[in-house]
Amino acid sequence: MLPLYLLTSAKEKPILVELKTGETFNGNLINCDPWMNLTLSNVIQTNANGDKFEKIEDIYIRGIHVKYLRIPDEIMSYAKEQSLINMEQRNTNAKNRRTEGGNRNSQSHGGHHGYRNQGRRGGRRNPQN
Amino acid sequence: MEQKVEDLYLESYAFTTAAAIVGSVDRKIFVLLRDGRNLFGILRTFDQFANLVLQDTFERIYLDKEFAEIYRGVFMVRGENVVMMGELDIDKEDDHLQQFIQIPFEQAEKNLKIKQDSTIKNERIRTKKLFAKGLINDFYKSDLY
Repeated sequence: MLPLYLLTSAKEKPILVELKTGETFNGNLINCDPWMNLTLSNVIQTNANGDKFEKIEDIYIRGIHVKYLRIPDEIMSYAKEQSLINMEQRNTNAKNRRTEGGNRNSQSHGGHHGYRNQGRRGGRRNPQN
Repeated sequence: MEQKVEDLYLESYAFTTAAAIVGSVDRKIFVLLRDGRNLFGILRTFDQFANLVLQDTFERIYLDKEFAEIYRGVFMVRGENVVMMGELDIDKEDDHLQQFIQIPFEQAEKNLKIKQDSTIKNERIRTKKLFAKGLINDFYKSDLY
């Protein structure tokens, strides 16, 4: 499991972000992307010296400025469970697709079928994230 | 002996990219960051940017005669901040600490700050002197390793 994928398991969880400048942000991770850009909510910002604090409701952090993130200990086991669940779901989905695909092939032509199948796959991907 | 195809992979192959650390996964490693932080933890995963995920991490500060450490939990380090990392020999990793006296982490943090501030101050003076002679001092205050 790649680090950035692991980070997606930390959504809705409290994390600490330190920027290269030394400022830290404590808050709940709302979203992240493959560039490590982050959105946090209910944030407490601490300056580099660690003596000034500020409350911010929502914040967007550009990934390039991040030095490191600290995430809750239980994320590691949670991520493992999630990936197992996802894998099982993918297996059952694949099975269903195989049986569905077989039926449809016997009934109609392939052109439309390919398009519909793609749309489906997109829809299924969402709950995994 | 005849060389097999699998001998060309991983262990025997001289990777110089991020793939070189694949052998250190699930082992205890040491990481030095650009800001001078020393992290000790178990490497769980990494990617092509050398972004690292460390579990059960301790941060340790070394001063001249003292050291201090504190538990930090799970760390996700952005690769560009890594200076170096290496695997630890868990039998020997604490041997060198006998030369140091353990002090509270907060106290060590304060002392380290003083030390780093004086480094930055000295380097600024050096930069000025070198600049007067037409030379560049290659120092940035975020590089404290």
